[in-house]
Formats: sequence, C-alpha cells, structure tokens
Amino acid sequence: MLSLQHISKYYQVSGLKNYVLNDLSLEVDEGEFISIMGPSGSGKSTLLNVIGMLDDPSDGYHYFAGHAVHQLKEKQRSALYKQYIGFVFQAYHLIDELTVYENIETPLIYQDFKSSERKAMVADILDKFNIVGKKDLFPAQLSGGQQQLVGIARALIAKPKMLLADEPTGNLNSKQGEEIMELFRKLNREDKVTIIQVTHSEKNAEYGTRIINLLDGKIASSKKL
Amino acid sequence: MIKNYIKIAWRNLKRNKAYASISVIGLALGIACGILIFTLITYHLSFDTFHKDSDRIYRLYTEWHDDGIGKSNGVPQPLGKAFRNDFTIGEKTARVINFTGTLITITKGNDVKKFQEDNGVAFTEPEYFDILNFPLIKGDKKTVLVAPGEAIVTEKIAHKYFGNDNAIGKVFRLDNKVNFTITGILKDLPNNTDRRQEIYVSYGNMDEYTGNKRRENNWGGVYSGSEAFTKLKKGVTQAQIDATTAQLVKKHYVGRDLKVWFFKLQPLNDMHFNPELNGYADKKYLWALFFIGLFLIITACVNFVNLATAQALNRAKEVGVRKVLGSLPVHLFWQFIAETTLITLVALIVAIGLSYAALPAINHLFQSEMDFNIGELSVFVVLTSIAVIFLAGSYPGLVLARFRPIQALKSKLSQKDIGGFSLRRVLVVTQFTISQVLIIGTIIIISQLHYSQTADLGFNKDAIVMLPIPKNDKATLSTLKNRFTEIQGVEHVSYCFRAPASQSNNTTGVNFNHRAEDEHWSINTKTADENYLATFGLKLVAGRNFFPTDTTREFVVNESVARKLNMKPQDLIGKTLSINGKSTSAPIVGVVRDFYNYSFHSEISPICIMPNYNGYSTVAIKMNMRNAKATLASFEKVWNQTFPEEFYSYEFLDDSIKKFYELDNTLLTLIEAFAGIAIAIGCLGLYGLVSFMAVRKTKEIGVRKVLGASITAVLWVFGKEFAILLLIAFVIASPLAYWAMHNYLKDFQYRIPIGPAIFFESILFTFVVAAITVSYRSILAALANPVKSLRSE
Ligand SMILES: Nc1ncnc2c1ncn2[C@@H]1O[C@H](COP(=O)(O)OP(=O)(O)OP(=O)(O)O)[C@@H](O)[C@H]1O
Ligand SMILES: [Mg+2]
Repeated sequence: MLSLQHISKYYQVSGLKNYVLNDLSLEVDEGEFISIMGPSGSGKSTLLNVIGMLDDPSDGYHYFAGHAVHQLKEKQRSALYKQYIGFVFQAYHLIDELTVYENIETPLIYQDFKSSERKAMVADILDKFNIVGKKDLFPAQLSGGQQQLVGIARALIAKPKMLLADEPTGNLNSKQGEEIMELFRKLNREDKVTIIQVTHSEKNAEYGTRIINLLDGKIASSKKL
Repeated sequence: MIKNYIKIAWRNLKRNKAYASISVIGLALGIACGILIFTLITYHLSFDTFHKDSDRIYRLYTEWHDDGIGKSNGVPQPLGKAFRNDFTIGEKTARVINFTGTLITITKGNDVKKFQEDNGVAFTEPEYFDILNFPLIKGDKKTVLVAPGEAIVTEKIAHKYFGNDNAIGKVFRLDNKVNFTITGILKDLPNNTDRRQEIYVSYGNMDEYTGNKRRENNWGGVYSGSEAFTKLKKGVTQAQIDATTAQLVKKHYVGRDLKVWFFKLQPLNDMHFNPELNGYADKKYLWALFFIGLFLIITACVNFVNLATAQALNRAKEVGVRKVLGSLPVHLFWQFIAETTLITLVALIVAIGLSYAALPAINHLFQSEMDFNIGELSVFVVLTSIAVIFLAGSYPGLVLARFRPIQALKSKLSQKDIGGFSLRRVLVVTQFTISQVLIIGTIIIISQLHYSQTADLGFNKDAIVMLPIPKNDKATLSTLKNRFTEIQGVEHVSYCFRAPASQSNNTTGVNFNHRAEDEHWSINTKTADENYLATFGLKLVAGRNFFPTDTTREFVVNESVARKLNMKPQDLIGKTLSINGKSTSAPIVGVVRDFYNYSFHSEISPICIMPNYNGYSTVAIKMNMRNAKATLASFEKVWNQTFPEEFYSYEFLDDSIKKFYELDNTLLTLIEAFAGIAIAIGCLGLYGLVSFMAVRKTKEIGVRKVLGASITAVLWVFGKEFAILLLIAFVIASPLAYWAMHNYLKDFQYRIPIGPAIFFESILFTFVVAAITVSYRSILAALANPVKSLRSE
C-alpha cells in the first residue's frame, strides 16, 4: 500500500545539510499496524508527516496506493489524502474557533457529505468516544487529554483506510491510553484500517503488528510481532 | 458550505473585536468620503447637461490680444445681432443682458413692495428659450418676450412676489424706469445650471432702460453681463466658425483693433469649469478632489489589507489544520473572502449612514443642493466594495493557502515566510505618504489664506461700510455727504465707483503724454472723489491728491503705471494721460503706492483714479467701530430718507474681500477634513498593526523583561520599525506634495514660498500622532506581566 524508497529529508543549517531522515526505505502492506519508536529528535514525526503527504522529502521516491506521490501535484495529493488518510497530531491541532462538534464535522464538510449524513456520523462518533456532553465546548475549554480524544475522533470520522497517529496517547492517562489502543486494534482487525503510530511507550507499541526503531533518521531495527 | 463560511467568519470577527472594529471604522470612513466626493464630482459634471442638442450650444466670448491676452464672457452688445443676421452657421442666436443690483417695485393699491434679486434681471431675446431648455409652464412660448414690455419669471419668483395669485398679467417696475407685464411662468430652475436668472424681460426695452441708444451699436466696449448664446446648425465645422468670427472682426473694427479683438465660441459643457470665463469650478479642483477621494479609499483599503494579512498570521495554524482535514486552496480562499465580505458589508452600511449625515454639511459648504443619485451611486458602491473585498481578502487567502500544511501547522510561519511583512511595510509607507501629502497641502493652503487675509493689501479694509448710490445728481450727493459726515463715529466719506479691490472693474486703453501710439496695456479706471485716498488709506509716493471737483481734471495713478512706462513715479507728475479713446485727457498730479485691486490670484493692474460724479455708484464710509450699531442705524435712516423708493443694503468691505477667497476657503475646509480622515485611518491601521506585532512579540517581550529590559527598551522594539517607515514615506511624499502645491500656488500672483519649515511641520505632526498611537499600544504590551505572556505560548 505504501512504499518509501531512499527517502531523505534535511534542513540547511548554516550551509550544512542536517539530515533528519537519511536514505530511509520502508514498505507497508495493507492491514498492517506499525509502531514507530525512537529517541526524541530521531525523526519520527517527520517520517509520519512525509507518509501523510503533509511534508515533502528532500530526496527519494514515495508511492502510495499505486500513485507516485513525488510526481503528484498539490491538488491530486490533497485528493489522495482526503480519500485515504486520517491524521492524529502530537499537538492535537484543533481549530480554536470551532466547537468540538464542528471540529469533528469539518473533514466531512470538505468531503462533501450531506448535512444529514454529517449529523448522524458525528453523533455516532461522539457517542463512541464518550464526549457527547462536551460537543458544544471550544478546545480551550477542554483538558489536554480531552483535546486528544477529539483529535482522534476527528481523524476517524471519515473512515480513513490509513490512520497516522503521532503519540496519540501522550496526554492520556494509562486507562484512557489502553482504551484507545484497544480501539485501534479493533479498527485494524475488523475494519482493516492500516495504522502507523508513533509512541514512546513499549506497552502501546506491542499493540502493533510490527515495531520499527528509528535512530538518527535511519531504521535501526524492525521487528514483526 | 457558504453557510459554514459565514458562520466561521462571523465567529472569527466576534473573537477579534478590535480587529473587526478597526477595519470597519477605517473602511467606513474611506467609503463615506468616496461616496461624498463621487456625488460632488457627478453633481458638477451634470451642470447644464439637460439641454437638448447641448453639443451644438455655444456662448460667444471676447478675447483681446495685446501685451497679454484678456478674456471676457461678455461680448459687445451688437455682436449677437450681427452673428444672427449676417451669418448662416447659427440655427438660433440670442442675446441676454443681465443687470444685477436692480430694484423691482410692485404696487398694489397703496401697498408698495420692493425686491432685489441677487441673480439680477435679464433683457433677453426670445430665441434664448429655443436654445436652452427652460420650459414655460404658463404662457405661449411663441409670443413671450417678442413684444416690448413683457416679462417671464420662475414659479419661485411668482410665488414670492404675488403669493398664490395668478402672476400672469401682473406688472412690476424695474429700477423705477420701465414697467413690465408678466406673460409667462418658467418652471423652477434645476440646481445644476449656471444660468441662474429668474426674471427675463423683453430685449426691446433695453434702450429705454439704459437711456442710451448708442449701446446697441457700440462695438468698442464689453459689459460682462452682456452675453450671446447660439445653437449652431448641424455639421458646422471649426473652420466655418473661425471664418465667421474672423469676418465679424473684419467688418466691425479698423486699425489696431483688427489685431486686438477676437471672438470665440465656448461650448456649453465648458462654461461651468472655465474660471477665466466666469465659470464656477475649475476642473483642476475637481481632479484634485477625485484624487483625494481615490487616496482615501486606497488608504482605507490598504489599512484593511494590512490588518487582514497581519491577522492572517495568527490564522496559520487553523489554515494548516484545515488543509490536513482536506480543505482545498479554493475553500480557504473563499473562507477569507467571506470574512472580508462581512466586514465590508458592515462598513458599507456605516458609510452610507455617515454620508447621509455629512451631505447637508457639504451642501452648506458649497452652497449647493446636491442629492444622492442612487442609481450611479450604487454602481460606484458595488464596484468599490468588490474591489475592496478582493484586494483585502485574496491576499491572505492566496498566501496562506499556498503553504504545505506542516509549515503552516508548526505555526512558526514567520513574517518572512508569509512575505506579508515587506508587503505590509509597503502598505504602511503608502498610507503615511498619502497622509503626509495631505498634511503638507493643508499647511500650505492655510498659510496662503492666512497670508491673503492678513497681508498688507496696500489699502485699509477695516471698518469701512459700503452703501449703494442709486441716483447721482449733484445736489443729492452733496446733501447726502453732509448728512453722513454729521453722524457721530464717521471719520471719512468718499463717493466712488467701487472699493480699491473689487470684482467690478472698468478697463480702457491709454495714451501717455500725447505719444503717437497708444500704450499696449490697458488701465483700470477707478472713479472716485478726493476723499478716496484718505478713506482707504492709500499712500502717495509722489505728487499730491487731486483737488475737489465733479469732473475729471486731474489724475492720480498707481506705481504700476510708472513701472509699465519704465519711469520713476515723480517723473509722471505733470504729464498728460488720455483714456476712453482720448475722450478724457488730464495731467497726472500724484502717484499712489500699489495696492491689490483684485485678490492675490491676480496681478496688480495699472490704475488711474479720477473724480467724475457720473460714475459714482457707491459711498464708502470709514467709521469708528466703537458705537457701530448706532452708527449703522443712522446710515440706514439717512439713506432711506434720501432714496425713499430704493432698497437699502450695506456691506463691510472686509466681508466682500473675503468673498475673493471663498473657493479657497471651501477647499481648505474640505482638505482639512479629508486630511484629518486620512490621518485617522492611518492611525487606526497603525494601532492595529502594532497590536498584531505585540501579540506576535509577546514572548520576545516577556523574555526580554525577564532578562531585565526596561520599558523604553521594549518600546524601541516597536518604535524603530515605524520611525524608519515614516521617514521613507516622508521622502516619497515631499516631492509629490511640492509638485501638487506648487501647481496650486501658481494660480496666485502673490504667494507664499514653499519653505522647508512646512515639510518639517508636516513630518513632526505625523511623527507625534504616530508616536502616540504606537506607544499607547506598545506600553500596554510592555506593561504586561512577563510570566503571563510567557505562559501564553
Ligand atoms: N524547520 C526545521 N529546521 C531545522 N531542523 C528541524 C526543523 N524541523 C525539525 N527539525 C529537526 O528535525 C529533527 C527531527 O524532528 P522530529 O520532530 O521528527 O523528531 P521526533 O522524533 O518526532 O521527536 P519527538 O519524540 O521529540 O517528537 C529534530 O532534530 C529537529 O531539530
Ligand atoms: Mg515528534
């Protein structure tokens, strides 16, 4: 489903190339559940952004669902993204001006769902995440953990085929974290959603079907479970 | 989707109330000025456009080519007739000769009513109403004014004179000389015409009225009230016109006059705009207004774009998230457009309210009766709004939509990334430039007017009352003078034609010292008695005043005469001066210091002052202002006893001199108002920008303060930037303003120099206003608690 070949990403810092991803190659099959681990600054978020087409690599080839992403135009990429991907951010990134309900609804608007359909879908997911009572609050009125839940709900609302999650449980307590991991596992097994998550927790990493260790922008080890 | 856009837009504005209100106020001010200026300009452009075939309607006018070129909207009285009878290019030609200051008496039984109309009474040939579209509502157009003794008046006049009675058939007496019977009523004049006469009488009574049959054949003089209008036949070429007017001159003039006299045709659509021919509004000033209006709208737009882009920086994260959630650049673009549309609409409503509130004031200022032309105005407003919306909305929309989501998301989009900062600098410089140009303009106009109103005119204009003299037989004049002199508080009494500076002038050719050839310049003759010099404080520089007499036996001239002759003043004494085609010759006995005989707009003319009781139409009284009220009352009493049939009126000389600068004063008020608004908009913009800067720099300021920076150091973070921008604006504005104002001052023969002080004042003023705005906002930022501002990141 996804293939990265010789991907590099560097920043020019005072004339020197500072590699964040260094000649990295990775194949992901449909239905996999991958956990990416590694020390802080090793390039995990960058890799996830590249996979999610939110950021461009400096070098290399990127294929996704049969398309050569590195050759696509912005608009086509955007369409591809809309069709396949849900993204959970490390820093939640909710829109401050919108309520919980509206934040979750937004992807549906952009994907041209009808108003009645949207209502049903949002109600459904609010229920699933147990945040019906918060639907009219603004992000600033929520705790960090609650914001993360909204972020995950928003990523899942449009039923993506691939879920990219950057430390989805970073701000949750261990019980909440476990629930989310259970949810991911269920999505992966029952709905065949391909998941790639970044995590610092060994325990959460074990929910995956493969664990990849990143070090200095390279894959240091890869282990199938 | 649209509902969603509007909802978000509305919520965003509610969250950023300061941003929204600054944008709305700035934009509303700009649009309101635009609406008013647009109305003003279209109003002036609409003057006399309602006549049928207006492109074929012309006024004949006179030019004299001698030392310089002189022009008059008047023509010799016989010209119109000759043009009509001897040539074929005119389809209809009419003479209309207007007299102002005329007295109208209406007698009904024993009841005598007296009226005086500012716009005068016009002796008019009936064709006038075939040329110009002033329809009759009563009376027969085919016959009115054809026979002598007829008059037509407007509805307004009819109502004023006769109330609700039918005015047709009623009689009025003009200047106690001629009776006229009203045979037609004109529809009231529209506001947008310069042909303001409301009383027309048969041309056939001219001779009877003036008591001078020679006028009808006098080709040698031009009275500015004597006009001739013509409607040319279709397809007449300029060559035909030129040939006709050339022949007119050839037929009626001889000798040197053949080279001096020219007659030309002025198109109808030029009449309102040609000040040389008595037009009201120089198109130059309309253009100036147009540009000021354009400037104001640009400033307001610039302001808005500026704030919108600055504000967009704070929206980077939102835009990033939206992109991640699948929004296309188009979506984002329209979202920003929705926001600017909302602001623009609110601003528009406020602007329309403001315009309605301000229109009466503008009308008062221009003494006009403009109204909003809803049709034209809505086109203007809609186009302006669309321009504003897209200018202000598309920039942030396009720029932010362009970024890769992760860049936008990191919210580390700096000013540099967005490119907006340098754009914003350009915009701020534009705004400052516009306000500086306006400020410099204001300072210069104020200085020039101040100069005009306080400068030494060369004569005394204070505490002088001018009264009309309707009859000038010797006996009446001498008793009247004695009675005035006896009144307490009267210092000098002088009979004259007009004051030293006046809009009414007589000019004639000169022969000096029996030279074979007449001089190539003409002289302005001031008829006045021997008290003229004392009353107006004119200073002799050579010789003496003339002796008291009733007829011209001696002349006093001004220094300009000496200058024109290239002689010293004292050398003129005893030489003979001949004027009015050598009909009047007398020695020069004195030379007075030059005085301004028009406004500062015009050059000082060569002038001769001479007594001649026939020419007196005014009495000038220099009085003591201490008991002004009683003294003025005595004047009225004495005057009314002397002229029981006439209409009393008086005017202080300094008031009538102020009228010379009416247009300048109007302009000044307007420019002051507009400069004020431009500065206000600019300050709003600055305030907004500093606010956004403050938000973006909150963390920097916090850190600096934790590290021990003083408040002044923090202020400098903001101040430095704006000081530089202001200087750049000044460098651009100065030459622009210099150029514009140099052109304005060119119209004044006597003017102030444009010195560096003016520019210095301007930049100082802008600097102070900008500094107050910037420091107010930055002090708020600097005083904020550092811990709080650090945590907010
Ligand atoms: N705009 C940038 N310019 C220069 N270097 C950058 C930039 N953005 C990221 N980096 C560098 O890229 C490296 C990888 O960043 P990344 O966010 O991918 O790390 P991470 O593995 O997700 O770390 P963490 O576990 O702390 O989230 C970091 O060392 C960071 O300094
Ligand atoms: Mg990370």
